[in-house]
Amino acid sequence: MPKSLLLVEDDGLIRMDLADALSDMGFDVAEAANADEALNIFRGSLEFDGILTDIDMPGSMNGIALAHQIASQDAQCRIIIISGRYHPGQGKLPDGASFLGKPVSQQALEAVLKEAGLSS
Amino acid sequence: MQLPNPDCGRLFRDHNWQKSQLGPVETWAVELRTLVNVMLGSLQPMLIVWGPSQTTLYNDGYAEMCGSRHPSAFGGSFKSLWHDIWDQVEPIISAAFAGQGTAMDDIEFLMHRNGYPEETHFAFSYTPVRDPWGTVLGMFCACTEITTQVAMRRAEKTQRDRMLQVFELSPGGIAMLVGQNHVFEYANEEYHSIIGVGREIIGRTVREAVSEVVRQGFIDRLDAVYNTGEPFVAKNLSIELNRGADGEKQTRIIDLVYQAMRDNGGCVNGVLVQARDVTDLRAEEERQELLSHELGHRLKNQLAMFQAIASQTLRNAHDLPAARKSLSDRIGVLSAAHDTILESGRGSSKVRRLVKQMISLHDDPENPRFSICGPELKVGSRPSLSLSLILHELATNALKYGALSTSEGAVKVAWKVSGPNNDRFEMTWEESNGPAVTLPRERGSGTRLIAAGLNGTLDSKVELDFASTGLRCLITSDLETFQKEH
Repeated sequence: MPKSLLLVEDDGLIRMDLADALSDMGFDVAEAANADEALNIFRGSLEFDGILTDIDMPGSMNGIALAHQIASQDAQCRIIIISGRYHPGQGKLPDGASFLGKPVSQQALEAVLKEAGLSS
Repeated sequence: MQLPNPDCGRLFRDHNWQKSQLGPVETWAVELRTLVNVMLGSLQPMLIVWGPSQTTLYNDGYAEMCGSRHPSAFGGSFKSLWHDIWDQVEPIISAAFAGQGTAMDDIEFLMHRNGYPEETHFAFSYTPVRDPWGTVLGMFCACTEITTQVAMRRAEKTQRDRMLQVFELSPGGIAMLVGQNHVFEYANEEYHSIIGVGREIIGRTVREAVSEVVRQGFIDRLDAVYNTGEPFVAKNLSIELNRGADGEKQTRIIDLVYQAMRDNGGCVNGVLVQARDVTDLRAEEERQELLSHELGHRLKNQLAMFQAIASQTLRNAHDLPAARKSLSDRIGVLSAAHDTILESGRGSSKVRRLVKQMISLHDDPENPRFSICGPELKVGSRPSLSLSLILHELATNALKYGALSTSEGAVKVAWKVSGPNNDRFEMTWEESNGPAVTLPRERGSGTRLIAAGLNGTLDSKVELDFASTGLRCLITSDLETFQKEH
């Protein structure tokens, strides 16, 4: 059974492209354009194996706050933070969260999914 | 034992007084003989001017002041000795002979005693000498030439003035503190500016004049420098100063140096303070750093956007030449949109400019097919890039398959602020008089890029209606994020 991922990215182009890349890698991908939309999807879903989220997005919260909410609700869900900014620092991310810098290369994407235990 | 005045003593003894206005020494008044004895026995420069002839006698100390006029001046008239400065000397000597003494700490003469003009300075006293009945017989003068001292004082003053000028011109604050209580002896304008213009500090201790620094430990630091001679150097030091217009407290960031000042014997006798207010500089540095991070962030986001466009173009391309053209055109559109953003000022553009930019690329001025309608509306840089791309993709599709593929077809682009709270951006693209529209069998990269919507906005939606009369596209988003600079 393919693993399910929730992709949260406000840039429609980047979201579309990342979703295509993840689908090509065999994941089931759900998309959200901001944290509020993501939380609605997350609450309505049975479960996600992982979430990939941008940091800076319009809406009530940014990606880091979203990551903490998800982590508090589902400790099993692997979290990958994506940003064009510098690494926010381990203390600011939920335990075990990974970081992926933009622009995202195929190689880096595969590596971070593997590191998060979402692919082998 | 060497007599004090060998030169003038010899002159006195050898002089032919018999033929002089004073006559033989034996006939001289007791006052004159006494004064001559005193003068020739003294190391202090002395002068006697005697009788109506104002005959001049002096000792070796005074002889030095006469320059090349000595020894011929000895026994001659006082006027012939100082003929070149007589206009200044005459009133004083006349006053003495009239019974009025004169004493001056510094009188300046421009004299030619050595054959060239020379500025000279003297400290002297002219004392009338009277007989027992009060008649003035002559004048006795003790004097010292202070030309060298005056020159030294002047040089020192010039040096001090230059040093103070350097201090005044210094872009940093400079203050000199003297003594173990750190009394302000000097402070330049910048120092006053740092601690607060108008505060009276000169002659007061730091503790009195800038009392707010006491509890912040600055007196302890000054004491340490004064007692050890070791300098104190600190950068980016936060300090609270009562420097506001009404003496209110302000926090500033300063670079500060305390250095021990020493006397000629090497003992510390003060502290030189150098301070630089770097508050604005540090704020500017932080702003630059922030800007640099922000630029880096934008650049990476845009690279990610280009990456997605390239990826989508290649993923859906029928062949490589078509992909190359599409990609080149799309990057060209983004580049032009960038120019518009830069021309419009930091981080914003106008919807009308972006629409016109698209029209300039795709319309024929001889046979215009576009009509536009909408208000002047600002758009943030991220949405402006994606709006340009969407318009480009719509126009490209219209040229290939839609209204612009025939000579009669037309496109209307309209935009407005909408929603019950006027908080939505809405743009419509309506094609007419083109070929009959059919739903495309597959979703090309252009359609996918259109569907991606407006970047950086909340609740962005793109609806494509393949109506048989012509394609209709509705683009909407939250207005605030559409116009916001991210």
